[in-house]
Amino acid sequence: MTALSGLQLDALRELANIGSGTAGTALSRLLGRSVDISVPNAVVLPLAEAVEAVGPAEQDVTGVAIPLAGDMDAVVLLVFPVDDGGTLCGMLGVEAGTDDPISALGEIGNILAASYIGSLGAMTGLDLDLTPPQTVTDMLAAIVASVLATRATGTDTALILDSELRVEGEECSLSFLLLPEPGGVREILARMGVEA
Amino acid sequence: MTPAGEIAVRMGELAVSSAPGEVLLSIGLGSCIGLALIDQRRGIAGLAHVMLPEATAGGGPAGKFADRAVPELVARTTALGTSRTALRAVLVGGAQMFTLGGGGAASALDIGVRNESAVRAALASERIPVVASATGGARGRTIRVFPGGAVLSKEAGGAEIELMPGVRA
Repeated sequence: MTALSGLQLDALRELANIGSGTAGTALSRLLGRSVDISVPNAVVLPLAEAVEAVGPAEQDVTGVAIPLAGDMDAVVLLVFPVDDGGTLCGMLGVEAGTDDPISALGEIGNILAASYIGSLGAMTGLDLDLTPPQTVTDMLAAIVASVLATRATGTDTALILDSELRVEGEECSLSFLLLPEPGGVREILARMGVEA
Repeated sequence: MTPAGEIAVRMGELAVSSAPGEVLLSIGLGSCIGLALIDQRRGIAGLAHVMLPEATAGGGPAGKFADRAVPELVARTTALGTSRTALRAVLVGGAQMFTLGGGGAASALDIGVRNESAVRAALASERIPVVASATGGARGRTIRVFPGGAVLSKEAGGAEIELMPGVRA
């Protein structure tokens, strides 16, 4: 991936801001609670530094990966620290220690990704579809690296759009990442009129 | 942050050491492979964090592609005073965590599996035997390599195991 200008990164950050705002509203409606949304990061990093930008490499997390189909090749990745994922399931009345939390988090991921991607599609005019979520609990680094590896053949950098959603008054937060492959980034920027 | 003496080998990187007290470390190998080359007698070790099987065009970090990482790691370890025939290999990683497509036609096969076979093929052409491995499956792993010769592997949610016995220094 060629370097992105400050203007291009600002445009991507704005996109992530609107996407995560929509996703935060969806989560809030689902839980009947207020959800805080962080100011998103948009960073282009060497692959070696990409994992650290997301969180501690060895942290146990549940990752929900949702590849996109349609006009842009990208993977949406939601990362729930394991305890926070449990808290979230508790708020929805799903019992911990069964198979249900995994499928519940996959379903929450799907709902949030659909709202995020829906607003992204509306803003850019791109036709974007979600494919079924895949949910895994493992070390953060293994999850992020395995997703990045699927799009890393022709690039030594990763564009990470990262937002954090936090349920107010609870130890419960999740990270929302959009990991587009380089062609996908060019496509978005072109649609927003800030191509290089 | 890594404690003193720990050398983190991140995605696409490689590192070597012959200093007692140091340990080469790759945390959270998913579909990636942690490739360790060790000369136990001389106390020399190297570790590459391989992401993908084959380099496309030139460029990229030396440890990223199996076909380039193996010769590069051989060159870096022999520069510390070992010989190719004294090196033994240990492999960790190559799990299949997701099925996400991407990467063109070759992605029909799982990246983790392709990474492992590419690393093994590159090692075979250098005539370096693989003496131990913890590969495949669906879980992430962490590898620790001591120049003294010990190689440890830990699966997500599991205990640390000694893949290759040796001096932990």
